[in-house]
Amino acid sequence: MTTTQSSKLARWRPTDDQPWNLRRVWHLHRRAGFGATWDELQRDLREGHDAAIGRIVSTLNDSPAVNDPFETMSSVICDAAVAANNINRLKAWWLYRMMNTLCPLCERLTLMWHNHFATTNIKVHDVGMMRRQNDSLRRNANCSFADLLKTMSHDSALLVWLDADSNRTEHPNENLAREIIELFTLGVGNYSEQDIKEAARALTGWTVKQGEFLNVAARHDAGQKTIFGHEGHWDGDGFIQLLLEQPATPRRIAFRIGELLMGEGSSSLVDELAVVLSEHDATTAKAVEAVLRSEAFFANENIGNRVQSPAEFVIGAIRSLELNQSPPSTLLLAEFAANLGQDLFYPPNVFGWPGGRSWLTSRAIIGRANFASELIAGELHTSKRPFEAAQLANLHGFSGDQEVAAFYAQLLLGEERIPDELVQFANDPNQFVTALLSSPLAFLA
Amino acid sequence: MSTFTRRRFLKTSSLIAMAPAVPSFLASTARAAAAEQEERILVVIQMDGGNDGINTVVPFAAEGYAKYRRELRLNADQVIKLNDSVGLHPRLKPLAELFENSRLAIVQGVGYPNPNRSHDVSMAIWQTARFDSAEHKSFGWLGRAMDERISDSTPRGADSILLGDENPPVALRGRRSTSVALAHLNDLKLKSNLDLRSNPGPATDDLLSFARRAAYDARATADLIDEVTTGASRSDSHYPDTQLASRLCSIAQLIKSGFQTPVYYAIQSGYDTHAVQLPTHNRLLNELSGAMKAFQDDLDAAGLADRVLTFCFSEFGRRVEENVSLGTDHGTAGPVFVMGPRVIAGLHGLPADLTSLDDGGIQMQFDFRQIYATLLQDWLSLPPDRIIGGSFQKARLLNL
Repeated sequence: MTTTQSSKLARWRPTDDQPWNLRRVWHLHRRAGFGATWDELQRDLREGHDAAIGRIVSTLNDSPAVNDPFETMSSVICDAAVAANNINRLKAWWLYRMMNTLCPLCERLTLMWHNHFATTNIKVHDVGMMRRQNDSLRRNANCSFADLLKTMSHDSALLVWLDADSNRTEHPNENLAREIIELFTLGVGNYSEQDIKEAARALTGWTVKQGEFLNVAARHDAGQKTIFGHEGHWDGDGFIQLLLEQPATPRRIAFRIGELLMGEGSSSLVDELAVVLSEHDATTAKAVEAVLRSEAFFANENIGNRVQSPAEFVIGAIRSLELNQSPPSTLLLAEFAANLGQDLFYPPNVFGWPGGRSWLTSRAIIGRANFASELIAGELHTSKRPFEAAQLANLHGFSGDQEVAAFYAQLLLGEERIPDELVQFANDPNQFVTALLSSPLAFLA
Repeated sequence: MSTFTRRRFLKTSSLIAMAPAVPSFLASTARAAAAEQEERILVVIQMDGGNDGINTVVPFAAEGYAKYRRELRLNADQVIKLNDSVGLHPRLKPLAELFENSRLAIVQGVGYPNPNRSHDVSMAIWQTARFDSAEHKSFGWLGRAMDERISDSTPRGADSILLGDENPPVALRGRRSTSVALAHLNDLKLKSNLDLRSNPGPATDDLLSFARRAAYDARATADLIDEVTTGASRSDSHYPDTQLASRLCSIAQLIKSGFQTPVYYAIQSGYDTHAVQLPTHNRLLNELSGAMKAFQDDLDAAGLADRVLTFCFSEFGRRVEENVSLGTDHGTAGPVFVMGPRVIAGLHGLPADLTSLDDGGIQMQFDFRQIYATLLQDWLSLPPDRIIGGSFQKARLLNL
């Protein structure tokens, strides 16, 4: 792909005005993961931007080794949640993954796709189906969108959620067709109502039986249909293929990736990213890499201008503070995420979580402050263990209250100096961390 | 007696003058900031299980009543007479007071054609205003109503709240609108006593400014919640110590704290009285009426009553003839209550006609969608037809 000087996807290089400094390293990890530990920040600062981005991109493309201990433990926890038929334990499992994975970007992408194909268990009401959907999202998270869409189009949780079974020749139900077109692929305004009607006809026959996708030929309307101007005896799979050929589809995916990695008021990458996606068979990994290496991503205006979602906020605090070594209860974390507005497996409706400023409701903000005080006081652990703020800082070579405060400002906010509004708390390290995590400064990254 | 009104909140919160859009938990923010126009609120109480209407709004003088209710009959001197033919269950004394004070409308015989006597199906019909079971898990009447209300993509809080620990019912599910469940108000209280109040700063629209104002607003909200729930002016001591009363109390506290959520929902379970009905029904109606009266009194004292309408329904009434287990089985139509200073108070419709039954249940006089049409159009100013799936003649229930 050729890029011009003014291209937003042109490769970023450090300059005097935009150095590779702690703030940019912190920014990279907050956007492409759940934040970094002090050692990770220092390592990437030392090794330079190419190595830092390269490391993240390669974890995205790696498959875990067979018998990888983390994956083994993850399966045990997940299987137990499904066997117990307990959706809260499934939420806790996912947070466990976010907390401990060596590929945080993989989990961020899985969360992105969960939001995109927003399916809520309130209607599906089946822990096994929600788990299988989550696995499919993760497996296809960085691949071509074609693979992901085809997999999702046969996903039982999704089909139950969107009434696939009620869509019959005699009485079509347009729900599935509408949401696939409007939300999962083309976006508003890029189709007609007639397209939706015809698409619904194409999708007749699809259903879920005993938790698995089933195509019932007898229920299918096999007649001639015209969808997006193309005539044919389209069936469901044919219709999905038509969607993949529409130019609006890569644009919508580009929009999602932009939401994931870019903040408010920063350059819109959507147009250029859509081109990347059309050229590389729409692999998410390629598009993500293009963004992470770009000028627009590292521009001053794109740093600290994004509201962290509840999962990012909660897991970010835990990973940065190295609390995943002796972690708090993931069930409690799941409850907090829900109170903060992001109940995993229960997006509010098919539009998903709107994100951005809408995360900042009064309840969510109060929740963030309460999370901070309970985390630091050790009340989220099954047996209470207060966090020792001074200790972690000492471990990394910072001693004395002022230095300790400066350490946390760097670690958690990517700030070289202690923000004015937190200065009053600097003489008590635990209070300082609590106040920091409760402040508006910690909403953004 | 202090009154907690949105106006007071607006005065004490210097934000509002500055902010183009200040989020609160559940506020329609731009609207709130712009006109100080206080939106109307609908509170829905779901009596879950099929409330026995015959022993609630009692046709005590009818021959059929004594005949069909040998064991379950409430004596004429026990019922609270509303007129010569109809009286309220004795435990509904608080509702009788509301009735006397022109704050209660009782609509008799509310149902729908071809009544379905399955809990799930009938409740789904009431909640979705749809009869095709394929539509029973999709969107509900209040969810659709809230969808109609959304005019742009300004960030806003939840459109409805369920007070309780149940899953939000399908009634509240919309395509774009959102609903949250709140088990209690503790989630809105700050646990730490670190003084984190800081000046919100200038009202520019950049993200950090917005975040600061949001944090400021949140703390002001937490303070207000604290005041209404623990301060000298708390009124929860006037509420009976029951679960429904506690839920309605929380709703009142949210309204008093300035939240503009238009729809609240609370569920009271237990009405499926197939056996030994009397003690259970007594307890439930006692809880219902005590809670409703305390709620209305609270709103009246706070100067907020004009904005709030309460609607109380069940998925069906019960069979007129009692069964052999001292209980009643699933029936058809039943009474609904609508409470607030703006109702046309009194009895609507005729006493249940026990001589002409529909397979053992009473005939319907009003289609529930007529009630919905009134609530949607007259109270919430929303066009009802798409929401309730057709055009229905409104019931004259409100004086506006």
